[in-house]
Amino acid sequence: MASHDESGKKSNENEMPTFNAENLQSNMKVVYYCRTFMSIIGGVIAGICGFTGLMGFVVYVLVMAITSVCLTARAGFSIHSYFDSWNRVLLDGFLGGLLSFVLFWTFAYDIVHIF
Amino acid sequence: MAEELVLDTAIRDWVLIPLSVVMVLIGILRYFVSKLMRTSQLPDSKIIKEGQVIIRARNLRAAANFIPVKAFRARKVYYTNEENGLLHVPKGQAQNPQAQMFSDPNMAMDMMKKNLSMIIPQTLTFAWVNFFFSGFVAAKIPFPLTQRFRSMLQNGIDLSTVDVSYVSSRSWYFLNLFGLRGLFSLILGEENATDDTQRMMQMSGFGFDPSKSLGAEKDGLDIVQHDWVLPKFEQRAEAVLRKRLSS
Repeated sequence: MASHDESGKKSNENEMPTFNAENLQSNMKVVYYCRTFMSIIGGVIAGICGFTGLMGFVVYVLVMAITSVCLTARAGFSIHSYFDSWNRVLLDGFLGGLLSFVLFWTFAYDIVHIF
Repeated sequence: MAEELVLDTAIRDWVLIPLSVVMVLIGILRYFVSKLMRTSQLPDSKIIKEGQVIIRARNLRAAANFIPVKAFRARKVYYTNEENGLLHVPKGQAQNPQAQMFSDPNMAMDMMKKNLSMIIPQTLTFAWVNFFFSGFVAAKIPFPLTQRFRSMLQNGIDLSTVDVSYVSSRSWYFLNLFGLRGLFSLILGEENATDDTQRMMQMSGFGFDPSKSLGAEKDGLDIVQHDWVLPKFEQRAEAVLRKRLSS
């Protein structure tokens, strides 16, 4: 995860929150890349471990939750100086990595178990 | 009946992996080809001017609360004035840029080239998959699906007792098609034209931009309510400075 890309973007107003749009967008991009990468890795792990059916989707949700927690920790738990709401880092793009997850899950499962 | 089929390992070596590798390579090739073909477009100065005016008006609308009322009103009149305001387009002229854009031969050919570069590799790969890799079970998807998907996923397999989880290579092609989009966005950066919906959005936003959005920006500016958020700013600045100087 890039450390210097998540720059803070709130200006010096005490009462009125203003956001630097470019930085906000760049932070969102970082979140998207992290989620995609973790869903690919999670797919490979789920396939190697041999999860099938519902267990695999549980693994996906788990991996996404771990990604959210790690992103929050990376932002120093002060979400409001990097994003404009909690939903952005916790829920945004949650289902976007599902297709990549399923592809790599199928791939790894087949290679390992039906070889 | 959930019997476990034993599949030949040669299928793994010669179907799954080559298909995925080919699709990744074709995606990368398409990205570079589209980048090479895109460099021949001279921007029109009138369109760029209008775009910049729109951006300035948008900035004014977004930051309206940070400048005093009089300054905001002066700027607003500059943009929305009926006679010579920048955003005011007489009705006759409004249609011209749009019509011109769609009948311009260069623009039409450009769009067609983008379309073709998207559709041709997909069609070719699909035909290749159908020709070579049909008629056998290719992969097992790890989650169960209902019987209705059987006709979609098991094209070449004519046995109806095989579990729906065992799919043909056509469905592996489609799974790759959708699943590799995430991978492409990671390895190619943001500017990759492999996503169909993105391309649609770009194409539809391109033709309507100048003529309609001028009117939209004008309306937007007209309805902005000015609410100054820095009313006692001098006092606050004084307080902050005092605190700093005394500590």
